[in-house]
Amino acid sequence: MVVEQFPNFFDWIGPGLLLLCAIALSGTVLGIFLGYVVASFKHGPFEAFYVVAKVIAEAIPDFLGTSPRRIMAIARLSVKEAIRRRVILVTFGIFAAALLFGGWFMNAGSDNPDQIYVNFVLWGTQLLVLLMGMLISAFSLPEDIKNKTIYTIVTKPVRSTEIVIGRIMGFGILTTSLLALMALISFAFVWRGLSHDHRMVDSPSVAEFYEIDPETRLSDRGKRVSSNAIKTSETTFDSGHRHRVEIIEDVRRPEDKQPEDTSNIVSQSELSDGRISYQRAVVVPTAGHTHRVTVNGEGDTSTIDLGPATGYFRARVPIYAEQLMFYDREGAPNDRGIDVGREWTYRGYVDGGSRESPNSLAKADFLFENFDSRFIADQDILPLEMSLGVFRTYKGDIEKRVIGSIQFESVPDDPSSENRFQSDTIVFETNEFQIQTLPISRKQSGRLIAPDGSTVEIGTFDLFDDYARNKKLNLVLRCEDYNQYIGVARADVYFRATDDLYWANFFKGYLGIWCQMIIVIAMGVSFSTFLSAPITMLATLVTMIIGFFTPFIRTMTEEDVAGGGPIESLFRLVTQKNMEVTLETGIGTTLMEQTDNLLVGGLSTLTYLAPNFAQLNFSDFLTYGYSIDSQRLLVAMAITVAFCMGLSIVGYFCLKTREIAK
Amino acid sequence: MSTDTPPVNEDKPRRLEQSNPDYDPNIVVEAQNLTKIYRDFWGRQKVRALKALDLEIKKGEVFGLLGPNGSGKSTTIKLLLGLLFPTSGRALVFGKDASEVSKNEMIGYLPEESYLYKFLTAEETLDFYGRLFDMPADVRKERVNSLIEKVGLTWAKRRQLKEYSKGMTRRIGLAQALINDPDLILLDEPTSGLDPLGTREMKDMILELREEGKTIVMCSHLLADVQDVCDRIAILYQGELKELGRVDSLLKVSDETQVLAKGLPPEAYDDIRAAITKHGGEVLGIDNPRTTLEDLFLDIVRESQERPGHRTSGANTASD
Repeated sequence: MVVEQFPNFFDWIGPGLLLLCAIALSGTVLGIFLGYVVASFKHGPFEAFYVVAKVIAEAIPDFLGTSPRRIMAIARLSVKEAIRRRVILVTFGIFAAALLFGGWFMNAGSDNPDQIYVNFVLWGTQLLVLLMGMLISAFSLPEDIKNKTIYTIVTKPVRSTEIVIGRIMGFGILTTSLLALMALISFAFVWRGLSHDHRMVDSPSVAEFYEIDPETRLSDRGKRVSSNAIKTSETTFDSGHRHRVEIIEDVRRPEDKQPEDTSNIVSQSELSDGRISYQRAVVVPTAGHTHRVTVNGEGDTSTIDLGPATGYFRARVPIYAEQLMFYDREGAPNDRGIDVGREWTYRGYVDGGSRESPNSLAKADFLFENFDSRFIADQDILPLEMSLGVFRTYKGDIEKRVIGSIQFESVPDDPSSENRFQSDTIVFETNEFQIQTLPISRKQSGRLIAPDGSTVEIGTFDLFDDYARNKKLNLVLRCEDYNQYIGVARADVYFRATDDLYWANFFKGYLGIWCQMIIVIAMGVSFSTFLSAPITMLATLVTMIIGFFTPFIRTMTEEDVAGGGPIESLFRLVTQKNMEVTLETGIGTTLMEQTDNLLVGGLSTLTYLAPNFAQLNFSDFLTYGYSIDSQRLLVAMAITVAFCMGLSIVGYFCLKTREIAK
Repeated sequence: MSTDTPPVNEDKPRRLEQSNPDYDPNIVVEAQNLTKIYRDFWGRQKVRALKALDLEIKKGEVFGLLGPNGSGKSTTIKLLLGLLFPTSGRALVFGKDASEVSKNEMIGYLPEESYLYKFLTAEETLDFYGRLFDMPADVRKERVNSLIEKVGLTWAKRRQLKEYSKGMTRRIGLAQALINDPDLILLDEPTSGLDPLGTREMKDMILELREEGKTIVMCSHLLADVQDVCDRIAILYQGELKELGRVDSLLKVSDETQVLAKGLPPEAYDDIRAAITKHGGEVLGIDNPRTTLEDLFLDIVRESQERPGHRTSGANTASD
């Protein structure tokens, strides 16, 4: 999953508030200026001054006198309106139909059916509620004005603030209930769509399993999956897939930790050298899940029961590194890594060296600054998950995987006086396009090195108590294959803490949609105080589009793009001039460039005024099974509150200064 | 129709905070040089709807704004309510500028057509408008029920307004205007769309409200209605005030005398003519007075209500 931002609410809120103040200040100045210009046309320049002053002076008692009771009365009215006009019913009908027929096209047997299901319901819900929010909010106030029903409201002691906030709140309450209902139904839909059972294809008896020839290699596809499998069988074909069930031989020394789960043990025997051999039945994961196995009886007479699917609903809690730094072959630091020439610069690449210069110093350092054992509840094994990119300069044996290695280092606060720990390297095969898990033991063998480079001690040290005594740990990743490259981004390598509750994470994901929906409603209501219904809809839609594509628009407007802005590009297109050709200097070119600067600057400004929906969209987290951290939620909530406040104020002034009757 | 509508909040003196030093509590509405010019998008003058109107409406009177369509009656009312902003001049209500929200606490407004939410029932409508005022829930409930009864819609209070006839909508419109027991009631064409019975009831209600001490401003082009209920009238034509004064003095024909007598035989007519001529007067006509069509119609309806199934004798009255 692509994660480019790692927000921390308390770091974010300072600059965020500063930006808000800047926008508020410039908005106020612009608003007063525009108000004065409009009033000058109507009343003349001197009278206009008093008109603007009066509006500002009246705003203060209006804001102070805003009554929750009247807001709620208008909110109730909005709810009733939307319900009795059957907007909710229609939206819900479309949603129900989408789920009914959408189920036909979902393939539970595909590689990651949970991703397909979750993605489908999330996008469907998001699209529907945003469209519905836009429609009901854009039409309600203009309809009120058109039907003149607003006459009976504004002639009561109702302030414009109450009308605007009441509307936003009413539609908010309504769409929130609908979203909650959709979330519940979606959850049930995903759950039901994915839950399935298998039986053993022939007989549940272990005696019916096929023996695996010990000579069979792992690469003999379809013959063996686990390296220590001794027997195999298959489940029935259900929900578009079947699983291989293997009996594996798990040999442990008496002093080792013995298996905690004993329900899947077929037999247990003591070997001649004193070690204990467990024969355990396991279901090989297919389509992103596995099943729990319960063995009844013992030995060849035992039978196997398969439980429901497990492994679908995950909310992984990744512990990301705070900092990622790349080093090139010569060991010079670089924060981007090697660019392998792809257009997408998300990942930086680590060079594996070459035969000519085998001692490459290229590496990627992941610096964890808050590495604490409570993340993994003090367990002995830390799962390290990686999703690495691989770039090959030669194919060779395409089946052969590129080799990488990791190493842990302590980060002393004062390297000139403190000793530091360095672990032995752990070599692994990269698993392209998939998340791979390396179980990392808490006890890592390595060396204690003095500041002068001499070894003080060789032994096994604890990752938390020794390596990361000051909560800082450096993970060094290298590529160990000549002329190959391993690509990483900050979010690609992380320790996996204890999983979050899935339903709680599902709820958090919908909270992101909720934030987007509330902002869309606030935009609709606010715009409709001065625009007609269709124009409001258009304006809301455009703002939504800008919001969804904020990062893209910013790269286009804030980075140097060859070929210039829209007008220059058009000119080059028509005159068939290459993007790199310098245009002749002259008035025409200057005019074109200045106009482009204006347009591009305007578009760039718009991205700061429109809500950045990328910050509010948590769909990917749910789809790929990652927990949504509370910092992200706090940021999203703060953005929502800020937009609602700003839009309410804009709506208030527009409604207040508008002549309701015509 | 009952008239025992409870006041909004009896123990709370209903007075707006006053910041206007010139405020005279006896003058409820004041227009000073009030002018409204409608302009198009480019600011060009389209129509001058009201020209420098000066007007004072006193506490407790029923004031009628009269004029043909497009004379500026509705514009005046909308300016007083703050629905429109004056191009120049001022509109003061209870001594406050018309754009101030707080004045609305004491105002009731029945728009030209009852612009109400069609998806609400009568009960919900009044409850909603009641919630916009500062009144306790029990008082609100009581007022909703008594107003529904007052306007005679108890039988239809749970029906959505989209099912209502024009007359019924008008009644519920009046009820919403009275929900806060207002001191000033502005009625825009109050009798439009009502049948004669409804018209009479509306007029009776206006008079009842006057008895309660309310100030009423109504605009209408139905002259008979205005004549029946208004104390003072202003006649507008093309946005200009043409006449202003008490109805009785404006309509009084000073050089004519009317004598109404009962049980007089036709033979006495000659004596009366002789007496008039003797005093130098000119006899314009001696005749039986005619009832109005409105009175005839109301008599018939009333009799039908009392004796259902019978052909009424109202027609006979007319042929007598």
